[in-house]
Amino acid sequence: MTLDLDEIRHVARLARLRLSDQELELYRTQLSSILDHIAKIGELNVDGVEPMAHPSDLTNRLDDDVVEEALPRDVLLALAPEVEDSFLSVPKVLDGAES
Amino acid sequence: MPAITTTHLKIGMEVHVELATSSKMFSRTANIANPQYYDAAPNTLVDPVVAALPGVLPVMNRRAVEMAMMVGMALGCRIARFTKWDRKNYFYPDLPKGYQISQYDLPLCADGELEFPVPEASDGTTRRVGIIRVHLEEDTGKLSHELPGGRPYHGSLVDLNRAGTPLLEIVTHPDLTSAQDALAFARELRNICRFLGVSEGVMQRGHMRFEPNVNVLVTTDDGREHATPIVEIKNLNSFRAIRDAIDHEHHRQVEAWTSDGIVQAPGNKSTRGWDDSNGATVLQRQKEEAHDYRYFPDPDLLPVVVSDTWRQKIAARIPELPIQRRARYRRELDLSASDALALTDDRNLCRFFEESIEAMKAIAEAKIPARRAGGASAKLLLNAGAKRANERGCPIEKLGITPTQIAQIIVLREQERIGSTAADELFGLLCETDADALTVARSNNLIQVRDQGRLESWCTEAISAQPNAVQDYLNGKDAALGRLVGQVMKLSGGQADAKAVRAGLVKKLHRE
Repeated sequence: MTLDLDEIRHVARLARLRLSDQELELYRTQLSSILDHIAKIGELNVDGVEPMAHPSDLTNRLDDDVVEEALPRDVLLALAPEVEDSFLSVPKVLDGAES
Repeated sequence: MPAITTTHLKIGMEVHVELATSSKMFSRTANIANPQYYDAAPNTLVDPVVAALPGVLPVMNRRAVEMAMMVGMALGCRIARFTKWDRKNYFYPDLPKGYQISQYDLPLCADGELEFPVPEASDGTTRRVGIIRVHLEEDTGKLSHELPGGRPYHGSLVDLNRAGTPLLEIVTHPDLTSAQDALAFARELRNICRFLGVSEGVMQRGHMRFEPNVNVLVTTDDGREHATPIVEIKNLNSFRAIRDAIDHEHHRQVEAWTSDGIVQAPGNKSTRGWDDSNGATVLQRQKEEAHDYRYFPDPDLLPVVVSDTWRQKIAARIPELPIQRRARYRRELDLSASDALALTDDRNLCRFFEESIEAMKAIAEAKIPARRAGGASAKLLLNAGAKRANERGCPIEKLGITPTQIAQIIVLREQERIGSTAADELFGLLCETDADALTVARSNNLIQVRDQGRLESWCTEAISAQPNAVQDYLNGKDAALGRLVGQVMKLSGGQADAKAVRAGLVKKLHRE
């Protein structure tokens, strides 16, 4: 399977990556070969095989609903590149967040 | 162009409900949707998992899973035996991880229905809306564009307190056909969540957010039908907004179709927001490739398997729900559909009402049959109570009067020791004191006087004070009697038993 450069640009945009022309070409080749490999696996007959949700057989790792300490706010804010008042500050985004 | 004969709304709902667990969905920091933490200062309910620091791992909240199961069961859903968690990938500053943990192809609950009372029906008629799925996910942080106090800011401000709050997403079939029904559905869903104790359902705090998907089926006089493109209205968090936004879309879509003739087609669904101040929906700019979420199973979380034992244990926790309670109130207590609806509008009021009936049973001498007791308590709460609750902006059950005092008022009223005006006044007085109703009624002269001697002397006095009324009455104007009764009530300071006064006056006047 051969990806074209527009597909690479699309994936890069989703991942917020700015790529040079050389990088675009490099990733086009690499991602294409990964997809080829997956396509080969896809040829296997898996009739009757249950889809696997997780490589481990464990289930139901659940915690009791008991409150623990939060991160001190100054510690949290110290991690952010930009802070204003008691908020993390980011470049202006449009209203109407996705959810 | 053919003329429009009818237009029919078609509405499906997507609802987000914040669960009021103590801690978050995937970590144990306090949850802002729990009343204990409502007023937490910005960014004080954040932990390494929420902040997505390197090396952290999420661990699921058992209580959140159980609350989701309760809602699913209350909506008659099938509870999945096997459910898993998926990553919904997108970059947005309200989620530091770069993805939201959600459920994609194996939701916890599916295929149910919600039955809601038809608002305009006085006979308790209900309608149903199909539930496609109910799944669990996590809420995001909050973005604001102003500093505290409304000062403008050049960027966006992030508060992560809400990030990681357990969030239930409920998706319905497009079975709703009017704004009123959508509103009734929303209210009933909120009631159910509150009765289950899974959410406080405070709309202003964003505990429930509604996203109606709306389109219109236009029929023209040539017999053809035209479906308008579907519009999703984002993030409505008041009942009024739900009703108004849907009504507005109804008109707007019909007008749009009339002018452009565009009908529903793959890919022409759009998203609009509700502008409350202008009373209109507004087209929202679509983020490029917004729907390319690249879901995949979250390798950090293990699947959840729901055993029969677990399911039964949770099923046993489901209380009597509003719709069942309403039916019981009507059947056992003879309440009207509207009274039953008003009482079940709130879990706390409902409990208060039932406690007042229990308290009446405890007053042995009263011997008031349940039907009378229920009707009397409902009336008192929804008149004397609702009036004061409105004035003070506080719920009826928090006015200060106790269920026992309510029962005592009703007993006094049943024994005809107080009149209806006095009952209302007594209600007000008992909101301010713990004393029992009889003591307060006595000390405020609210007990009706039925002493024949005193009644007669008031009647005599009234008759001599109002000769015109007497003449009118004797001339056949029965209404004039009311003026004389009023006079007696005035003389007695409201304490005379109105029924006895009326009888006494008639007897006296006919003797003359």
